[in-house]
Amino acid sequence: MKNNDKIPAGNPFKVPGNYFEAVTRKIISSTVENQREIKKPGFYLKMRPFLAVAASVAVLAILSYTGIKLFPPRNVSLSLSGISVEEYSETLLNDIDLLTLEEIAALPGLPQDQENQFVDKKDIIEYLMLENIDINEIHDQL
Amino acid sequence: MIIEISLNLYTFYQSKDKISTALSDQRSDSDIQKLLETNIDQGFRLVVEKYSTRLYWHIRRLVILHEDADDALQNTFINVWRNISNFRRESSLYTWLYAIATNEALALINKRTRNSAVSLDDLGSWFANSTEGSTWFDGDEAQLKLQNAILKLPEKQRIVFNLRYFDEMTYEEMSIVLNTSVGALKASYHHAVKKIENILTGI
Repeated sequence: MKNNDKIPAGNPFKVPGNYFEAVTRKIISSTVENQREIKKPGFYLKMRPFLAVAASVAVLAILSYTGIKLFPPRNVSLSLSGISVEEYSETLLNDIDLLTLEEIAALPGLPQDQENQFVDKKDIIEYLMLENIDINEIHDQL
Repeated sequence: MIIEISLNLYTFYQSKDKISTALSDQRSDSDIQKLLETNIDQGFRLVVEKYSTRLYWHIRRLVILHEDADDALQNTFINVWRNISNFRRESSLYTWLYAIATNEALALINKRTRNSAVSLDDLGSWFANSTEGSTWFDGDEAQLKLQNAILKLPEKQRIVFNLRYFDEMTYEEMSIVLNTSVGALKASYHHAVKKIENILTGI
């Protein structure tokens, strides 16, 4: 087809001087040579992920330590040490629904687990007396 | 004296570069492909040295502007570099490179069509009114008419015409590059030539 007389041959386009040498160098430097640089990372680059993890852990530890030192959980420790055994027992007993417990105890033939079989009735009475529970009510129930 | 030595050294390195390029041009594709398996860096250098000029002109004829051709050529070789380890030895290096270059050129044309206000439908008026035209085009009136005629072809016909007419690629090679049957390519080329002849002769 090069011999087609009706279609002109030749290349009408131009390029800047030494373009092909320059572009070849540019391509090589952005591919082969760039890859080489990536292939050989320094010690810091290799260790960077590990250093980042170590730094994060250290920061968290420092923050936690500082937080505990600056804002100790004072209220909790004070309230626990300040509460007497009596107060604690009273609160506990208020939380227990005594009526329900008594009803359960009055029910005959309830299955008892092995541990309860070894609890003496006297122990129960002593315990209830110790907790200031009305003894008459206990007698009525028994 | 120092200037003379510097000039001699410069001439020596320039001639060394030219000799190296000439040697890489002489290397067959199968030699380069063998080298790619053992020394990928050296093999790739040879690919760039052997094909950069040819691929540039192929791209330039499609995108017309030097800046665009320069971008597309560099993108082509970056793609080649990224995928060269997957390149199968039984494939043809030449057609593989042309396929990548053609895709890059078409991607650039599509991007330009979407984003740019510049239309290259009429090269004559565009070259007359642009720095690029006056600097990087020195064809005569007939050449300008030919380029305008080629630009009027549908995209696929334009590529077929350029590959056959300027790069003298065989239809078999072209069928690999464009993933089209040989018969369709022959018909496409025939139509392209007829259209261009008609435009040039003013029919």
